[in-house]
Amino acid sequence: MMCEAGDHPGPAFSALLEDSAEDLYEHAPCGYLSTLLDGTIAKINTTLLNWLGYERDEVVGRRRFPDLLTVGGRLYHETHFAPLLRMQGELGGVAFELEAADGTRLPVLVTSTIKTGTDGKAQLVRTTVFDARDRRAYEQELLRARDEAERERDRVQRLARTLQQTLLPPALSEVPGMRVAAYYHPASADEVGGDFYDLFPLTGDTWGFFLGDVSGKGAAAAVVTSLARYTLRAAAVYAPDPAAVLDHLNTVLHQQFHGADPRYCTVIHGRVRPGGDSAAVTLATGGHPPALLIRADGTSSFLDLPGGQLVGALPNPRFATMDVRLAPGDTMLLYTDGLTEARTQGRARYSEEQLREDLTGLAPTTAPAVITAVTGLLAGFGDGVEDDTALLALSIPLPGSDRP
Amino acid sequence: MTDHPFSAETRTTGTGPVVTVRGELDMATAPRLRARIGDLALAREQLLVVDLTGVTFCDSSGISALIAAVNVAAAAEAGVALVAVPARLARTFGLIGLADFFPTYDSAEEAVAALT
Repeated sequence: MMCEAGDHPGPAFSALLEDSAEDLYEHAPCGYLSTLLDGTIAKINTTLLNWLGYERDEVVGRRRFPDLLTVGGRLYHETHFAPLLRMQGELGGVAFELEAADGTRLPVLVTSTIKTGTDGKAQLVRTTVFDARDRRAYEQELLRARDEAERERDRVQRLARTLQQTLLPPALSEVPGMRVAAYYHPASADEVGGDFYDLFPLTGDTWGFFLGDVSGKGAAAAVVTSLARYTLRAAAVYAPDPAAVLDHLNTVLHQQFHGADPRYCTVIHGRVRPGGDSAAVTLATGGHPPALLIRADGTSSFLDLPGGQLVGALPNPRFATMDVRLAPGDTMLLYTDGLTEARTQGRARYSEEQLREDLTGLAPTTAPAVITAVTGLLAGFGDGVEDDTALLALSIPLPGSDRP
Repeated sequence: MTDHPFSAETRTTGTGPVVTVRGELDMATAPRLRARIGDLALAREQLLVVDLTGVTFCDSSGISALIAAVNVAAAAEAGVALVAVPARLARTFGLIGLADFFPTYDSAEEAVAALT
C-alpha cells in the first residue's frame, strides 16, 4: 500500500468534496463567466460579481463581456481577441482592464475557450478571469526600476563628462609665434578615460606642455590622472629640466601605488621657447610613444627617446631627453596609443608607421590642420577606437601665412 | 575583442608555478591575470614563470599585471621570468623602457636553467 490515508478518506472529507463543485464555481479564487457567441453574458460566478460590484441580474442576459472592459480594452477585444478566439478556439493570458460598477479599474488576465456541441458547432464561450493586480504592480515596479536605471546612467555619464573636463585644460595657452591645437576623443561615455594633456606658461619666454596616458580607466585611473596632472604642472615650475619633472612625478606615483596593483602612466613632457622664427623644444619621455615631427620640406620622423621608462611603477626609473628645433612649417604631434592601437575598418590595428604615412603628405602643415586630419581618421575608425585618445600639436607658421 | 579567448592557467612544477597566458591581455582580462598571480602561494627562492606564447595583444592594463607579477615575486623573495614574449610585446617593452626590467627567456626550461 502506498498511502493508506488516501485510500480510506474520512466521512467528513468526502462530505467536503460532495458539494464542492457548485461552491468551487461560485467562490473560486478566479472569475468565471460564460457568454453566448455574441458576447452576451449567460452565467457569471460570485467572485467576479464581487470584483465588479454588480448584482447578478444587472449582468446576466443584459450585458456583453466587452461591456465590462475599458474603452481601449473593448476595442482590442473586438479587433483582436474575438477574431483570434473564433479562429483558434481558445486564447489565453491576455491582459485587460475591467471597469467595476464604481468606475475603478481592475487589471486582469483573461483566458477563453469555445465550447462546441456534438455537431461541432460553437455554442458558447467560457472565460476565466484572473486578478492581475500583483502582476501589474510588478510590471510597474519593473518600469520604475528601468526609468531609475536610465536616470542613473545619465547621471554617471554626466559625472564622467564633468570629471573628464576637470582633467583637461578648458583652453590651451597661446604661445607667441606658434600655433597649438589639441583634441580629446573619449572611447566611452560612461567612464572617465586616463589620457591627459596641458600646455601652460612657465617663466618668461618658456612654455611647458605634457601629454600622457594612465594605465586603466574609470574612477581608479582618474585618481592617478588628476595626481599626475597637478604634480606635473607644479614640478614644471621649479624643476630644472623636463627629466627632473618626470622624476618628481615618479616619486609621487610610486609612493602612492605599488605592490600587487601598480598604477603608472606614460608621459611626454617638454618645454618650448620660441625665438626669432623658430622654437627650441626640450622633450623628456617616460615610456610614451614617440612624438611625430613633420618637417616643412615633406620629411617626417619619430622623435625616438629610447630607454625612457614608464612613470610610477619602478622605484628608480630612467628618463630620456632630447632637444629639437622647430622651424617655420614644422609641426610636432604628441598622441596616445588609443590612436595607434585603434582597429581600422579592416579590423587590423592602426600603427605608428601608418600614422606617419597618412600625415607626412600634409607637409608643410600646421597644428590645427594635423589635429583636424587625425580627428577625421578617428571618426573613420568608428568603434574601432577602443581606448581614449589625446592629441596635442605645436607648429611654427610659414612666413606670410595668414595667422601667426 | 573576442577572436582570441583569454585564459590564464597555472601548473606547478618542481621549481615553482608556471602561469600560461593566452589571448588578449587588456582592460577586461588583466584583472583575471592579476587575481591568478595574487592567488599563487609563492615560496622563497621559487621561480614564477609567466609564459606569454599565446598572448595576441597586451595593453597598459596587461603590462600593469606583469609589473604586479614582478612585485608579487619580489615581495615573496621569489624569482620571476617572462618566457616566449611575442615580438610586438617585446617592442612595447622597449618603448616603455621595460626591456631590461622584465627578465625574459625563450622558454620555461631556459628560465629554470638560468635562474634556479
